[in-house]
Amino acid sequence: MEQELRKEASKLLEEGKVDYIVGFAPGSLKFSTTPLITKEKEEVASLVINPFIVNNLAKFLTEVLGRVGIVAKGCDSRSIVSLIQDNQVVRENVVIIGVPCSGLIDIVKVEKLVGKDRNEIDDIALQGEKVAVIVGGEKTELPTKKVLFDNCLGCEFPTPQEYDILIGEPVDTTCNRELGQEKMKELEGMTPERRWEFWKYQFSRCIMCYACRQVCPACFCERCFIEESEPQWVLPVSKWQDNLIFQVIRNIHVAGRCTDCGECERVCPVNIPLRSLTKKMYGLVNEMFHYEAGTDKNAPPLMTAYEYEETKDLIR
Amino acid sequence: MTTKKISKKDIGKLLEGWSRELTVFVPSKDKGVTEMAKWDGKDTSFLEWYRNTAIPAKASFLPASEKMFSFQKNTDGYHLELSKDQQKRIVFGIRPCDAKAMAIIDKVFTDSYEDPYYLSKRNNTILVGLSCTNPYDSCFCTSLGVEPTESADVDLMFTDIGDEFLIEEVTDRGKELMTIAVGAKEATKADDAKAKAVKVAVSGMLLRKVDTKDIAERLQACFSDKDYWEKVAAKCISCGICTFLCPTCFCFDICDELVKKQGTRYRGWDSCSFRLYTKMPMENPREEKWRRVRQKVCHKYEFYPMNFDVIACTGCGRCIRLCPVNWDITQILSSLPASVTSHSDK
Repeated sequence: MEQELRKEASKLLEEGKVDYIVGFAPGSLKFSTTPLITKEKEEVASLVINPFIVNNLAKFLTEVLGRVGIVAKGCDSRSIVSLIQDNQVVRENVVIIGVPCSGLIDIVKVEKLVGKDRNEIDDIALQGEKVAVIVGGEKTELPTKKVLFDNCLGCEFPTPQEYDILIGEPVDTTCNRELGQEKMKELEGMTPERRWEFWKYQFSRCIMCYACRQVCPACFCERCFIEESEPQWVLPVSKWQDNLIFQVIRNIHVAGRCTDCGECERVCPVNIPLRSLTKKMYGLVNEMFHYEAGTDKNAPPLMTAYEYEETKDLIR
Repeated sequence: MTTKKISKKDIGKLLEGWSRELTVFVPSKDKGVTEMAKWDGKDTSFLEWYRNTAIPAKASFLPASEKMFSFQKNTDGYHLELSKDQQKRIVFGIRPCDAKAMAIIDKVFTDSYEDPYYLSKRNNTILVGLSCTNPYDSCFCTSLGVEPTESADVDLMFTDIGDEFLIEEVTDRGKELMTIAVGAKEATKADDAKAKAVKVAVSGMLLRKVDTKDIAERLQACFSDKDYWEKVAAKCISCGICTFLCPTCFCFDICDELVKKQGTRYRGWDSCSFRLYTKMPMENPREEKWRRVRQKVCHKYEFYPMNFDVIACTGCGRCIRLCPVNWDITQILSSLPASVTSHSDK
């Protein structure tokens, strides 16, 4: 698959169909990858496809100038489509190199299960229902369901719906939508008071690095409301109230754009379970408007369209 | 230097004794992230899991956000009430890279102005170091002249020698603290030798290297190489992780919270990765991402050494380990172009 990807990417550059290739290269740490943004044909040889291609590269489409050939997993392709819907990306300027995805391995889950840090693990191999982990020469088999990212477990579109080139065969979608929602379900089961306390505590730990916003393809605003100084909506020092307001507003802003790629939660350096919020919003969008973000490039963006039917239970 | 030793199973008693006199901070993961936090009085399990904290020990001296003072407007003018933190503390288990980082940022907080908030905490805190015997693959401290078992920047240094820790009494403050240490014994020559062997062995474990020779000059030479900086900045997402969690990044922002006629002044971490950091009414000198990335690298490896004779990096590797896109400063420093002739675009 990697060979095919490199060949296609190199061809795109050679034939002048794109100015840049955006994909994944091996990272500098074990079991890591890093975004590769290049116009050099030679660098395309380092493109990889593996269960550690975690980033949602659609994020870079609003930055990289010119025509771009972009490697996209299912969720990434939805983000690209969503950006097209929002007029942030011109479809003709993008060559989507679709990569069917069998789920990404959450290295933190592996670390916890084997009790070792990433650099102490020799090998991790995704083999269907099992993941083989080798530590100190000894092999342990873990159920795949225990080590994939939560958002991958319930992924509805592992194969890109929108693509120009598809690398490899489509992945079967026999997903169980209910999977990977334990944290959210637990929160739903709480009393409002307890849930309030939960988020109050979580947001008291926020260090305001804004990695959640920066990594999110749906957060494409030129200027975020929290950067306004007149009026100053939130203080530039960490207070749980302000951090909560930031996340609530961010969630409303990305409603109908969020494709549940899980990047916000993955990158949070203090491990705030942000996907519990985005997934909830994702579900609400689905339930209230029968809308799935980034599945139809010709559909108007959720918040710009209005149907009379929607008024019925809009306010409740 | 005099040395003592203590059995690992007596660490609880030792901390308990110390916590009667001072507030003890230890590595903790109670709040969902690894950081230095007030010891709960019993748990010493960090001795097993602790490698280094995600949030550096600098947060104990320059917190993510802190209250500077409160103020109130009365008929006779403004009344200020300074917040004073005079708590006597021990930070137990700080790694040599993070301790060196404190020595590095001391320079900026004592330069032309003595920062009372930082210094009161710094002066009231005894650093008890813990030799690093299991560095991450992202660590590159030895390239910055920091040994993973270096005792230069702590008051006491603990080194794992099997069932016991060897304790080096580095400073007078450290010696004084040892006078109230429960469970410590005199170390033998054999213990010293064991610690020495550990130190040599760990130093060899650091495989990630950066050539820091003439680094300031080399950065200066490629300062105007826009193509280079654009290329290395391309994948950066401009979040604050690498700077906030860097033990030597010290930038902060100040703001007032006002409620009617009274208010509070806070300060909190700020980051040169943010576009807002340099935003001014008319323009922004670092509007483009590559300029911000260049600033971060150059500040650490070029400007700080120019001002204070020391590189503002200790090779702790957090910026590599915790980066959402695996932006790796060691790769950047190893790939600097030789020099460019054009100086048109600064």
